[in-house]
Amino acid sequence: MPVSLPQIDDMPGAVPEDWEAIGAAIGRYVRGRTRRSDLVEEVVQETLSRLVEQSRQKTLVSIYALGFRIAANLLVDHHRRDRRYLNGPEMEQVSEAPLPDRIIAGRQELSVLIDALAAMPPLRREVVVRRRLRGESCAAIARDLELSLKAVEKHITRGLADLHRAMAASDN
Amino acid sequence: MTRDPQIAADAAMWVNRLDQPVIDTSVSAAFDAWMAADARHREKFADLQALWHSDTLTQALDQSEATVVSNAPVAVVAHFSGLRRSAPWLAAAACAAMLMLFLLVPGLQVETYRTGTGNGQAIVLADGSHVELSGDAELSIRILPWRRDATLVRGEAFFDVAHEGWRPFRVQSGASSVRVLGTAFNVDRQSPTRTAVEVYRGAVTFAAGGAENIVLRKGDRARAVDDRIAAQAPGPNAPGHDKPDWTAGWFEAADVPMSVLIAKVQRYSVRPIRLRDPGLAALPVSGRFQVSNPARVLKAIRGAYALEIRYDRDAIRIAPAPGVPGS
Repeated sequence: MPVSLPQIDDMPGAVPEDWEAIGAAIGRYVRGRTRRSDLVEEVVQETLSRLVEQSRQKTLVSIYALGFRIAANLLVDHHRRDRRYLNGPEMEQVSEAPLPDRIIAGRQELSVLIDALAAMPPLRREVVVRRRLRGESCAAIARDLELSLKAVEKHITRGLADLHRAMAASDN
Repeated sequence: MTRDPQIAADAAMWVNRLDQPVIDTSVSAAFDAWMAADARHREKFADLQALWHSDTLTQALDQSEATVVSNAPVAVVAHFSGLRRSAPWLAAAACAAMLMLFLLVPGLQVETYRTGTGNGQAIVLADGSHVELSGDAELSIRILPWRRDATLVRGEAFFDVAHEGWRPFRVQSGASSVRVLGTAFNVDRQSPTRTAVEVYRGAVTFAAGGAENIVLRKGDRARAVDDRIAAQAPGPNAPGHDKPDWTAGWFEAADVPMSVLIAKVQRYSVRPIRLRDPGLAALPVSGRFQVSNPARVLKAIRGAYALEIRYDRDAIRIAPAPGVPGS
């Protein structure tokens, strides 16, 4: 009678990772943040290879959360390197604007977002500004504005959905 | 299609949850399960996460915040005190912010520096930037994980900003502002509606009243009066100088109102200096003055502009010399 042995490689109960789906999601995120197609491929590959490596070393709590975080950090690194390259060593600086090819697309997006923020209920806008711009915790915002934690989270998620809807509408 | 708004709402909820300082393992597992369930989930999350992290959103919030602040100054005060109270929370949240994981977060509260007459101060900020503050000045500083803000309430300051490509440094002076990533520049708040800027290294973006926005490079000077920016001829500092004149006690006046020069001298004079005639305040002056030596400056302008200067016990009073027509 054949005895089935547990496979040593696999964690019991672990689902094999769908790397293609992870790569596609990360790719979509990176494309949303830069117009440089060469960079997209590079960041996705680097993110996936780091994820594979890390998932070999230990069980990851959330492969998606880690993947998005790695990609975000890689984008910051690239951004910084590009800026240094574009401006030369002693020309530190200029504007806070991102990469040059992002600027024109960015301007239109900027006015869409500003309009969407203006259209928001003031309390919601205040919560979003405090959270995203000033980095205040949800708990601190709840305390300052005398709201429940749930209400703060609702304002953030609805606010983000509002902004997303405005962006999607402007694309059509 | 009918479920799309629901997917967007769920995705937004996940963006917010993953942005929290502490993420529970059960929450993480639920997130992976949600992402694995449907390609539309993954797409929506990727779009919303990209939007939430985008620089464009930071800029949009920045601008909408500016309008909120100008409409309700009281809210700003409340916000500052709130910041101080919530500093430990902020630090926790900031450490968790995905982009910023690798950063050290120094202090997040507003620091205010004030100097008295004749006493400048050299300050090293939490991010390693250096500031030299003139006498009789006030500067408040706030350093956040994604930006660095300084407000020059009064006086003059020379900034040598630590270069951080991803974290702009902004100096607000009245309605005008200077934005940089890392460079050396001087900001002189000559009056509530008048600010002069000079760049010593790198380049800065100079804006006034939201209307204008110009880039100043090394050696460039400009001043904003109300909402108008005017470029100025390069100063005597141009080549070889890496610091403004005033840090050595000098002021190069190029066609500035007398009141601006007097305000500079005032930084070094214990006795208040009063211009007795309002017409004098607007009188254009030019020249290089050693403002750290008030008596010497006053003597120089007395001859050049036909003034009478009286050293009273409580104040120094400046008036047109008697018998001089048209002054």
